[in-house]
Amino acid sequence: MIGALALASLVRHRARTVLAILGVAVSAAMLLDMVMLSSGMRESFRSLLLAQGFQLRLSPKGTLPFDTEATIRSADSIAAIIRARPTVLSVSPVLGGQLHFPLAASMVNATALGVEPAVQGDYELVDGRQPSAPDELVANEALLRALGRTIGDTVSAASGYDPQLRTLAGQRVLRIVGRVRFIYLALDQRAAALPIGTLRAMNGPQSEGRASLEMVRLRPGADVERERAALAASLRTVTVISTSEALKQVDERLSYFRQLAVILGAVSLTVGFLLVTTLVTVSVNERIGEISVMRAIGVHRWRVVAQILLESTMIMLVAAPAGLVLGLVTARWLNSILARFPGLPERIDFFLFQPSAAWTALGLLALSGILAGVYPSWRGASLPIATTLRQEAVG
Amino acid sequence: MSIRTALLLILVALRATNAQAPTSPIAPRSAAPGGTRSIAIDSRLAADAKLRVGDRVVVSSEPGVAGDTVVIAGIVQRSADPAEVARAEYRIRLHLDHLQGLLGYGDRVDRFAVRTRDARSAREAISRIDAAAYGFRAHRSADVAVETSKTFAVVSRFHRAIGVITIVASAIFLLCIMLLKVDERRRDVAALRLIGCSARTIVGSVVLEAAAIAVLGSLAGVAVGGAASWIVNQHYQAVYRTPLRFSIVTGDIVLLAVALSLVLGLAAGWLAARRLVRTPPLALFGR
Repeated sequence: MIGALALASLVRHRARTVLAILGVAVSAAMLLDMVMLSSGMRESFRSLLLAQGFQLRLSPKGTLPFDTEATIRSADSIAAIIRARPTVLSVSPVLGGQLHFPLAASMVNATALGVEPAVQGDYELVDGRQPSAPDELVANEALLRALGRTIGDTVSAASGYDPQLRTLAGQRVLRIVGRVRFIYLALDQRAAALPIGTLRAMNGPQSEGRASLEMVRLRPGADVERERAALAASLRTVTVISTSEALKQVDERLSYFRQLAVILGAVSLTVGFLLVTTLVTVSVNERIGEISVMRAIGVHRWRVVAQILLESTMIMLVAAPAGLVLGLVTARWLNSILARFPGLPERIDFFLFQPSAAWTALGLLALSGILAGVYPSWRGASLPIATTLRQEAVG
Repeated sequence: MSIRTALLLILVALRATNAQAPTSPIAPRSAAPGGTRSIAIDSRLAADAKLRVGDRVVVSSEPGVAGDTVVIAGIVQRSADPAEVARAEYRIRLHLDHLQGLLGYGDRVDRFAVRTRDARSAREAISRIDAAAYGFRAHRSADVAVETSKTFAVVSRFHRAIGVITIVASAIFLLCIMLLKVDERRRDVAALRLIGCSARTIVGSVVLEAAAIAVLGSLAGVAVGGAASWIVNQHYQAVYRTPLRFSIVTGDIVLLAVALSLVLGLAAGWLAARRLVRTPPLALFGR
């Protein structure tokens, strides 16, 4: 009965109700997007960090992995010390650098990663095989396209320039043995990976024994934070970062987006709330005679309150599915804009859909709908019956 | 390792302090007493490590490597560069030869900055440098600025997209409110129609009212926006310890906001009024 009355009241002013639902749907879409932005970015980065199962990362003291060009001295000795620990499954050293590929009429530059192919965690093999000899490398699609080469071809590569002699430094002929997708690099970033020993040799003596980063995979059940603390205490020249520590750093760097999400989410909710409150209040004002008649024939005050609360909640809940669809569409659009951040890893999603985000948005909308009906329902229920009926009758 | 990056990585080891040294916001001394090399540090490092001008510190390129004892000759304020705002690391400035020596870097540098007389000289200089260069290239500062500001171009596009969604929501909200306002006056409008007022007059009056609401609302919005901008600047300047202004309300932005709300208001008023005048007057009376 209450539901039928609430529905009749909404249907009576179709245009108004449709506009209200539309307005709430846009607010709901924005709310969902902001909930996705505030939690999705962090979750996306977390899954990226854990994608290859490495829980700890060692970088030069005071820096984040690959945040600067600094390298770890005596990286091989440090790797040996870490490997000796019973809780450690594997250690993957990575050396970052640049490779220059001279072509007939131009030069192609690319990011180079020196890795131990058997334990690396920086790329996934798409085609071909891992490098097994010192003169082999794997490259991503962007680099293969720029070079005009394919798996099985050889290519001349150098690690730098000697401006005084006007020659390339550390030049080698390398064979391409695989096509890969780099996990932490941007999609359009030209990149290659080769054995770390080869890259060190190409760079010259200054790279001897050095690495930019060492990734550590622990045995199942190992206490990550305890291992992190133990390594940090014993290795003074490196910073040891666990996934949770890295996420904390990411939170600091991207705090702008989280705060923006909270502010815009709150504004969306407020706009939706105000819209529904205004509509239901006006609707109640138009029906004060009707409400007074209901009260006069014995309808309980709480039934009036329930009917009006149901009206506002219905608007919110009917708008929610439309808002969800609209939110997912706009999230894709906004994500495609932010995905153009220079150097952003391909797999990072700013707007990651999680069921919890949808439930949170729906819960907030339902709560907002109920709250939006509080004032008009209080007003409707507290009308003096006789006075209102007289005023309505006299006009 | 590049010199620019190494500047970020030089590790400062506190060894001794000179309690009598005066504190100064900007480097006042070019030479330190006794032939000790001098450095400048950024104000964040000075504040966090409680360093002052005249203090002696040891700098080295890596932990555990013997370094040089230097004297702090100045404390410098970071420039308002958006590209650096989220970077938390400290910075120190050394004389070029000093840093090259510390890093074993020879006479290499990351870049030269060349000042030319005018734009034509700049073009000539670039072509001559590129013709003679091997392993490096010359770029116009404006081109470098475009490349390094791509991040902010993306953020700007994102803000514009959010703006579009906000405008859509505002338009619907405004239309809804206008519809309600006009609906409230159904009987008044019916009476006006019955005594001979034309539909055009009624639509005009409603549109005028909508315009007044839009102008007043947008002026209030400008005031709220100005206050929000001030709060944003205060908050983020404190968080990132930078003089950078994060939010700026310009005349163009105010004009755009007022014009947009006026257009939306007029459109909403016109639509609501048209709907009303198309209904027969007796139907508006509910008969």
